[in-house]
This record gives sequence, C-alpha cells and structure tokens, in this order.
Amino acid sequence: MTVFTPSVSDKTKTSSPILGLVGRLAFLVVLDAAALWFVARLMSLGYFPFGAAVSMITVAVNLILLIKKAYPLRWMVIGLVLMVMFTIYPIVFTVWVAFTNYGEGHLVTKQQAIAQILKAKYLPASGQSYKWTAFRSPTGEYALWLQDSAGNGYLAKPGEPLLQPQPGEAGIGQLDEKGIPQSIEGYQRLNVLQAAADKTLTEIQFGEAGKTIQIRSPGEAAELLPLYVYDEAQDAMINQETGVVYRNLRGSFTAPGGQSLQPGFIAPVQFDNFRDFFLSPALRGPLLRVVAWNFGFAFFSLLLNFSLGLAIAVLFNDPRFPFKKIIRSLLIIPYTVPALITILIWRGMMNPQLGVINRTMNTLFGWSPPWFTDEWWAKIAILLVNLWLSYPYFMLVCSGALQSISEDYYAAAQVDGASPWQQFRYITLPLLLVAVGPLLVASFTFNFNNFNLIYLFNAGGPPIAGAPTPAGHTDILISYVYNLAFSGSRGINYGFASAITIIIFFIVGAITLFQFRYTRMWEEVSENV
Amino acid sequence: MSNVSLVQRASNSARLRRNLSIGIRLVIAILLIIFSVFPVLWMISASFNPTGSLATQTLIPPNAGLDNYRKLLTSQEFPFWRWMWNSIKISSITSVLSLSITTVAAYAFSRFRFRGRLTMLKGILLLNVFPGLLALVATFLMISQLGDVFPAFGLNTHASLILVYLGGAMGINIWLIKGYIDTIPRDIDESAMMEGASDWQIFTMLILPLLRPILIVIAIISYIGTYGEFVLARVLLKSSEQYTLMVGLQIFAGAQFQQRWGVFAAGALLGALPIMLIYLLLQDHIIGGLTQGAVKG
Amino acid sequence: MKKLSSLFALIVMMSLVLSACGGGTPAPAPTEPSAQQPTAAEPTSAPSPTQAPTAEPLETLVIWADDTRTPILQGLAESFQAEYNVKLVVEDLGVVQDIRSQAIIAIPAGKGPDIYLGVHDWLGALVSSGLVAPLDLGEKKDAFVPSALEAFTYTDGKLYGMPYATENLGLFYNTELVKTPPATWDELLEIGRQLKAAGKVEYATAISSGPLYNALPLWTAKGGYIFGKTESGAWNPQDVGVDSEGFIAGVAWLRAAVEEGLVPETFDYETAHSLFETGKAPFLMAGPWALDRIRKSGVPYAIATSFPDGGAPFSGVQGFFVNPYSKNVLLAQAFLTEYIATEDLMMQLYKSGNRPSAFKAVLEKTDDPDLKAMGQAGINAIPMPNIPEMGSVWTATDNGITLAVTGKMTPEEAMKDAAKQIRDLIAGALAGMVNLPGTWQDQVGCGGTWDPACQASAMKKGEDGLYRLTVTLKAGTYEYKVALDGAWTVNYGSDGKQDGPNYKLELTADAKVTFVYDPNTHLVTTTIE
Repeated sequence: MTVFTPSVSDKTKTSSPILGLVGRLAFLVVLDAAALWFVARLMSLGYFPFGAAVSMITVAVNLILLIKKAYPLRWMVIGLVLMVMFTIYPIVFTVWVAFTNYGEGHLVTKQQAIAQILKAKYLPASGQSYKWTAFRSPTGEYALWLQDSAGNGYLAKPGEPLLQPQPGEAGIGQLDEKGIPQSIEGYQRLNVLQAAADKTLTEIQFGEAGKTIQIRSPGEAAELLPLYVYDEAQDAMINQETGVVYRNLRGSFTAPGGQSLQPGFIAPVQFDNFRDFFLSPALRGPLLRVVAWNFGFAFFSLLLNFSLGLAIAVLFNDPRFPFKKIIRSLLIIPYTVPALITILIWRGMMNPQLGVINRTMNTLFGWSPPWFTDEWWAKIAILLVNLWLSYPYFMLVCSGALQSISEDYYAAAQVDGASPWQQFRYITLPLLLVAVGPLLVASFTFNFNNFNLIYLFNAGGPPIAGAPTPAGHTDILISYVYNLAFSGSRGINYGFASAITIIIFFIVGAITLFQFRYTRMWEEVSENV
Repeated sequence: MSNVSLVQRASNSARLRRNLSIGIRLVIAILLIIFSVFPVLWMISASFNPTGSLATQTLIPPNAGLDNYRKLLTSQEFPFWRWMWNSIKISSITSVLSLSITTVAAYAFSRFRFRGRLTMLKGILLLNVFPGLLALVATFLMISQLGDVFPAFGLNTHASLILVYLGGAMGINIWLIKGYIDTIPRDIDESAMMEGASDWQIFTMLILPLLRPILIVIAIISYIGTYGEFVLARVLLKSSEQYTLMVGLQIFAGAQFQQRWGVFAAGALLGALPIMLIYLLLQDHIIGGLTQGAVKG
Repeated sequence: MKKLSSLFALIVMMSLVLSACGGGTPAPAPTEPSAQQPTAAEPTSAPSPTQAPTAEPLETLVIWADDTRTPILQGLAESFQAEYNVKLVVEDLGVVQDIRSQAIIAIPAGKGPDIYLGVHDWLGALVSSGLVAPLDLGEKKDAFVPSALEAFTYTDGKLYGMPYATENLGLFYNTELVKTPPATWDELLEIGRQLKAAGKVEYATAISSGPLYNALPLWTAKGGYIFGKTESGAWNPQDVGVDSEGFIAGVAWLRAAVEEGLVPETFDYETAHSLFETGKAPFLMAGPWALDRIRKSGVPYAIATSFPDGGAPFSGVQGFFVNPYSKNVLLAQAFLTEYIATEDLMMQLYKSGNRPSAFKAVLEKTDDPDLKAMGQAGINAIPMPNIPEMGSVWTATDNGITLAVTGKMTPEEAMKDAAKQIRDLIAGALAGMVNLPGTWQDQVGCGGTWDPACQASAMKKGEDGLYRLTVTLKAGTYEYKVALDGAWTVNYGSDGKQDGPNYKLELTADAKVTFVYDPNTHLVTTTIE
C-alpha cells in the first residue's frame, strides 16, 4: 500500500473538540433514558427477546459513541442499529426457529396453548344445560332466564340458588311465546348480541356455589366444569372427566396411546429438523440436479444480464450519440414496470396454444419452442425472462460507475493508438469491475435465491420423471426445499424450512466468501488508483 | 472532450468509421428496444382491452376503450391516487434516508482504516445472501411488539414500513459507493486536511459533489425497489387507505386476475409513470459527458 | 459544490419531518380490538357530530374477508353500530387463500381478527394449530345444508365454522356444437373427434392447471380416489389412492386423448378457458368462479347436470371462523349466529358470490339455472379432505399426471411414483422406524415416556424380517404399544389392531427383556431373561 493511511488518533484529534464530547454525553444520557424506558415497557409486555435486543443495541451505541477507536463506526451508527433490528434480528429468529417445531400444528406459545386448553369445559353427568336469555340492571348486574330441554324456566343470579318463579313472582313479567319473561323488575331484557357485547358475561358464575352455571355459547349455558387441569410438576394436562394424563411430548400434550390435545405449541426439538433433512427423501432425491441447475441459473443469469447491461451502457455512453436519451429511456422500461405483472405477461406470450410468440413462430416456421413442457426450453425461457427483467439494472449501475473513469485514460490510450476494443478491455472493464465487482457477487447470490421468478413463471416445472420427491426441472434449491417444507404431512413447517434455510446459507455463504478472493484483488487495485 | 475531438479531426477515415459504428449501434438499439418494449406494448393493449384475457388478446384490441382506466380511477374500491401517493411518499423517504445512511457509511469504509473494516464489508455482503423467507414472520412480530409501545411505529403505519426498508440500507450499495469513493484520489482530502477541514467538512464539501452520478443511480434503484416491494408491505399494512400501490393492485386487481387483468395492467402502467418521469429528469446526470471533469487526477 | 451538499442536507431534514408527520400518524381506522389498549393510550378527541349519538363504541369486531364479501359485510357496519354500539371493521385481504397465510402469522402474535373467512379444507391445520374456536350454532343449525356443516366438523366431532357457500366444478358444453351432454367420457371424446374432423373445433376439451382438482370427475369416474376412509368414515391418510387401478386408468385415458390431439398436453387455466370461450373446444370443466367470465365471452353454453360416467368433483365449502384468542369470542359467535345467519344476509352473500348458498332457505330460492345444474352435478361431490396430510398430495399428484400425459413416463409408472412420493411425505423423515413407546422408555435414556420417535427404543430389523429390541428393565409393571414411522399416526395395540389396547408387562425382578415385532401380524412377543 503506497497510500498514506491516517491513523485513528489523528482523526479524532481533528474532529472532536471538547464541545463535541459534551454534546455526545448529553445525547447519550437522553438516549439511555429513552432506551431504558423502552426496554422496561417491552419487558412488562413480555417481549423478552426484543427487549434484550434493544438493550444490546443501546450498549453498543454507547460504546461506539464513547470509545475513541470506534470513531469510524459513528459514521454509520444509525444504519447499523437499523440493520441489527431488521436484518440481523430476523436471522437470529430464523436460527432459533430451526431448533423448534414452529409451524402449522405448533404456531402458538405454550402459555397460549394452555390457556386455550383450559377453556375447554365439560358437563358432568349430573349437570344441566340450558338455553339462556340475559337481563341487565342499570347498575350492570346480570340475571339469566334459563330454560331446560323440557321447557321449564328458571331465574339465575350470581351467588343465589336457582328459582323457578311463575309470572308475577320475583318481579317476573308476562312470558312471551317462547316462554321467556318480557320483563324482570329492575332489569332490562337483552337480546343475544346486546348481551354478548359485554365480554365479562362469560366469566360470571350464576347460581349458588358448587353448582354454578356459566354461559358457554350464544345458545347454551350450563353447569360447566373445567375439563383439564394443568399440572406444572408433571408438565401435563389431566382430564378431569376421564383422569387421563396428557404429557408434554415435543409441543403436544399427548396421552399414552398417542391421542394429543389440540392445539400443539412451539417447543424446542434440538437438531430434529436438521436430522429430518438429512434423513428425508430430499437428499436421496434430485438434490444434486437441483443444485447444478441452481448454479447454472445464477451464473448464466449474471453473465447474460451483466453483459447486456454493460454493453448498452458502453455503446450508448458516447455523449454525441444521436437519440441516446430516447434510446436509454426506452431500454429502462422493463425495470419500471413491476415484475409481478411482467412475469405473467411473459407467461401469456409464451403460452403454447395461444401466446403471441408461439402463434407467430408456428405461422412462420411451423414450429415453436415448448417453453413449459421441455426441460431445456423451460430453462431457456427462465433465463430469457430474467434477462429482460434485470439488464436495465446493470445498465443503470454501469452507466453510473462509468463516470468514475477519468476521460484522461481514454485520451492517453487514443494517443497511443489503442482500438476501441482495447480501450474497453484494458481500461473500461478492469476499472468498472472495481466498482461493480461486489454487485456481481450480490447479484449472483440474489439469483441463487430468486424464488419469485421461478414461482410466478412456471412454479419449477416441468416435473422431473422418477424423482423420489416432487421436483421440477427449473426448481432451484430454495423453491425445491420450501416445497418440501410446506408440503409435509403437517402443512407449513417453519422449523424445517429454517433448518434448510441455514443449510442453504452455508452453501451460498461459502461461495460468496470464495468469490471474495476476487473482490480483494479489486480492492487492492482500487487502493492504488 | 477537447482531446477526443482533436484526435478525431486528425483523421478522415476515423470519422467514417465512427459513422459506421453509430449506424451499427443504432441497429442494435432498435433490436434491443423491440425486445424491451414489446411485452410492455402487450400490457398497454391489455389495459385498453375491456374483455380480453392474458393469453388471447391481440396487439390492437378489437373494442379498445378506456373502461379499465375508468374503473381504476373512479371505482370506490380503488383509492388509486391515495395508493399512488402512499407509494411515492414511502419510496421517496426511504430512498433519500437510505441513500444518506449508505453514503456516510461508505465514506467511512473508504477513507478510514479500522479493525474489522474488511470483516464488516464482507459481513454486509453475507447478510444479503441469507434466504429471508422467515424474515417476514420475524419482522411482523417485531413491528407488532414495537407498535404496542409506540403506536406510531406499529402495524398498519407507513413509518414502520419505512423503518423496515431502512434496515436494508446498510446493504450492497455501500460497496458500490465505496468503490466509487476509492477512485477519488486522497490528495484532495489531504490538502483539505492541511487547511484544517474536519472529516465532515471534507465529506460534504469535497466528496459528496463528486458522487452525484452514482448517488443518482442508487437513488433510482432504491426508489424502484421500494416502489415495487409488496411482500413486506402486504403483511404490515392492513387497511385500504394505507396500502401502497403494489399492495392495492395486488389485492384488488390481482385477486381476480381473470376478470380484472386489464385494470391491473392499467394500474401498473400508471404506477410506472412516476418512475419513468424521475428517470427522464435525472438521466442527464448519469449519462456520459456532463460529469466528466468532476473526477480529476 | 456547496449548493449540492446543502441541498442534500435539506432533503434529509425534510424527509425526516415528512416521515414523522406523514408516515408516523397511526392509521385512522383502529385495526385492533380497542380492548387491547389501556384507555389512556389514545388522546380521546371529541366525538364528531356526524357519528352515532353514542360516544365511543363498546367493542370492535374485526373481520378479515375476501374482496367479494368485504363490501357486503362493510355494508352492515353502520346499522350494526347503531343497534348494538359495536364497531365493525372489515379488512379486505384479497383472495380467500391469502387470509390463511396472514392468519397464521397474525393470530399467534395477538394481532388477528375476531372473525375471518376461509375454506373448510383448512380445518385440519387450523384446529391443530389452535387458530379457530369451536362454534355452537344452537337452533340455527337446522337452517344450514347438512353436508356443508359436516364439512366444517372436524374429526373431534366439533363444529368449527359457519358455512355460507359451496362450490364444485361443473361440465360446461357449447350448446351450438353439442345438443345433449355426453353420458360417458368416451362419448365426450367422440363428439370432439367428429367436430374436429368437421373442422369446427381444435380440441374436445382442455384442462386447467392443477389437474388433480380440475379433472377429478375423470379420475373418479374411472374408479380413482385420493384417500380411503376408515371404518368410522374419517379420511385415512394411510390409504393413498392416486395409484389405484382406476386412477391410472383415468390418466391413461387422458394420455390417449392427448396423443390423438383431442386434448392439449398443457394444463393451463387461460388455455382451457380461451379454447372454450372462442368455440375451439366444445367442453370445459370449470367452477362457479368462472361464470362471470364465460357469460361475458358470449359463447352459447349450458351446464350438464351430471358428469360423464357419474364422475364426482371436489366440493369446497366457504365459511366464517372465529379466532379463539379474540377478546370477544362470545360476541363474534353471536354476531355470526344472530346477524349473519339470516336469510336476508345469506341472500346477499349468495348474490354477489355467485356460489350456491349453504343456507337452506336461500338455496331453495336459487333460480340461477347454471348454479342449479352445477349443484346437481355436485350431488355426489367429494368434500376436499380437511386433514393436514392433503398438503402432501397436490404437487406430487399433479406432477405425476403431467409426466404421464406429456409422455415422459407411462401412466402406471408416473402414478406409482406420485403415490410413493405422497406416502414418503406423509410418513415423514422417520419413515420405517418401528418403535415401542411406553412407560419403560425413560429407563433406556429417552428422557420421557410414550415417545414414538425416541431413537433409543427403536427396534432393529433382522434378516428374518422381524424387528427386535433388547433392553434391561427394573422390576415393575409396564405398558407400551407399537408405533411406526416415529409418530402415533400408525400404532398397534396388544390385539394387533390400529389404536388397540396397551400391552402390559410385569417384571418381578430386574430383567433383560427382548421384544420381537412381526410386521405381518403387527404383534409383539417378549422374552424375559
């Protein structure tokens, strides 16, 4: 490195006078107070992971603002905070999920599941079930008019034994055709909806102690008893009617013999999701094939998209080129229209029976490519559509990056008699790669995981014959394994999906790091410019 | 510029060759334009076609009319202008803020040497690689919890959406800008530093103006990216008047592709206009000729 | 230069201000039950004079609906609030399918709606995940079509949803080309053949994407099925029928038709519809959702009152679900039974939805001949299986049919492969494991009891085809069962029957016990040393 590198201490001296320090401290005090309050609120609401994350972020921000060595980080502290919250936190979440059974069948927390199971009630053998009508006093007290299956009417109030009054007694007015009093003295009759609008109603226990009646549904009130009791020591639910013990087995309360209570809940399962992946037919299946196409797809997409984008940027970079503004504006169009709609347009244009491309080719040549049924044509179609969608991005990026290349180089080259191709090869390309090299890596990895395109265009089809798991010729790793994770016997399985996500990340991450060898080279080039 | 024209004037055959090359390039341009515009023409015709379906329609629909546009702009179901305004607002704020974050960070990465610098740069790239399917669930949970403390940043607010988008600001664009700043010779900084300028002054007064072309490119890219995003917006926004254009179109028109295909196409085309406009306004700044001289050795 | 940087700073500042006042304002419509927030959370503004005389609504009911039903439900809001002082917020989530994916995320987070719309075949996933509350329709039960209620009844015998509409495929035919609908599939093909020979059409029919669903009347007519049924009449996921003789015969029939050129080899919604609507194919299988489109196209059509050869379509039932974590479960239920389950409202839902109603009184008044015919054709319809295992069926079967029909495999190979894929997916990663879950498991390091997936108690297959396991147990009484594939789904009791009684084992002293399992008789024998 020939460039002078200022040391960190130099920097801080020149740019942080005492005043800056005082301001920083004042800012930190305010920030810490606010963060403390925020964390306290989160904790009180039970959001512990989020609260912990905020605490850690706050500590980090303090360190960055206080430690001299962290001076360069101060330039990016806002970005870093947001990155930790909305990029890294979701990744941590994914890693956590990979070690749980989170997914359909296990979506709620244990507390939520217990609460829901405890809500279940049963009617003991001696118990009675009634139809109910609610009456409310001006002070908000309730009385119920209950009717059993024989049509007998009862008056029920909280804490008082049931009465079986006749009209006229106990303030009961005339009965209507359904046998319900039109009025009760001191109370107003409510219809079901008026009564249900008060959510405390289901909690009220009517009748005397030991024989209480609760509202169970819009049509029924009964002498209900809780069906289950949660035994914390055994971590089990005990059925009060049958005595069966349901023990917690990986997120379901399960009885001996296998019956389990609904719902299940999120529970840790250690490495089960990873084990399942390595045991599953997915591995014996067309995995290698999918991986090969995935690399091919990402590589050729990058090559085609970048080449075309670069070619356009270079060809029409000439300031005196006629119509360049119009040409470039027209060429950017594919980028301005949402891909969601244009992918479907392409689908329609390539329809084998009706699409304009195939109809035209059939008329002209008597043949057209089977875009959706042939393995290779399907791959070509995907690459073509992706080229259309993405070349304007590279055209933009390259146009911008070209501006960093000084005209002087070209002038010197022209004096030396270099041909346009030589100028491109020895000046434009290497200098451009310095700037856009990392973008190429990023674009490669983006296409590596380009789920939307595959999914919207042909959902991975056509299917591979004889595969042990459902898979298509244009399936890429992510669409293939997510299909597996979401079509298992229990529906959506986030835990399994996360485990696979992490495995994919290791594959793609390794490739990316490998590619850094080149980016490091670029960086050294850049240092010397 | 003068150098280039001098060389040209020197030779007549060079001019001939130049005209030939322009001719070839025009032919290439026409071919490319056909490739890029044809599907969009198809979409335009769909937007004027009151009955047609995706596959059967012809380039000039037999009973072309403005039905779809009328439906889009006047129907009670589509608060189209509201959606468009939401999208423009969210995209503008996001792209400006994320550009600020990115640029400042890129400057630090380019000009300061500190421990972990390369690791961080690599880390940023690696984070981009993580397949983000579950990010949706995590983000939803986080925003819903955030909203229980600060309702202004909770579900169904634009502020929450912008925050989430900004979480991606420390992304790959840092590399792009950093690469650009790397090409600016350090002599400029050093001479300014000799005169007692602070880092911030050097950044804003010397470096920033030189970055104009790349900043505009990134602003456009990030604007388009935000404008077209609908997965996160779909999950975080719940009421019709808060929707972005993409969410609104996807829900109201996309829900019934078969019947409302034309309306969807019309909406997408109208929605693309602001982006086209921005590009037309700014393209002078990123096309060769106007900025040369800004970067000098 | 200076100008640009100050402009830059200005933009940043402005955007901050903008985002604070523009983006930062909470949505005008409260989208969560107001009960969630303490009263102090929102500044109580003075009630605007245009609102109902009552100041603040008591409660809020949030409903997630699709875009067809949203306007109808929204139309109820005003009168409902006036009558009961309960605010109704209806949120439009687009297509019905999207409601499910959003509910899965939002309900466990406590941000779900009180009521949401859905389809009956989600039931397995919803119940096992705890995302739906049981519903008691009380007296209103008799007002609904029994088969629709049955569709919303889960295997536990409880009702979980209130149906409003049903749908199934119908056979559309072009009345200009076909006088009477065909009685057999061969006849249908013959009509197409003659019309094609006469140059009037290009194909006999075309099938929409998703051939399992969209051509089910063909598969079932030939004797194919998806899942068999258990003795109690529930779906049996262990009996997969996509490689049954009848199913293969159906696929072979279609392959022959494709080879003859009477049916296109791609399954595509657009293609199928366009061919029928332009008179290029005389037949089409489509559901009520396509009525609008077909009517608009102007093609002269009628709907057959039965499918050829007595084939049966799938039936889907749409209905309302109640979120069990709603703060207002009783109110939500009462709203459904009292306010929605009325003839007037069901009529509105019917009229806009273009689907046969699930409400008897409305169904009887249905005068639309198309819906009537479709309803008749659906008399033998098979309700889409509502067990979670159905998720494993769709892609594998569609792929198999596609492979056979495009000639990549023979129908038999293709469907056998598909069935194997499905069985593997249902069995899960531990397919093939034979385990002896019981009370003794914690003595061999299972960390618990009654765990069918514990590796330490898995049996090993011997060369004679029998499974063996030897363990050392302390004296005591033990109970256990046989479970396959690491799950309780397939388990055998001491009688060798599915779900049979537990085995009992008495040890008077510590002993070495060898279990031997015979996969043919499903029985276990023990030897004690």
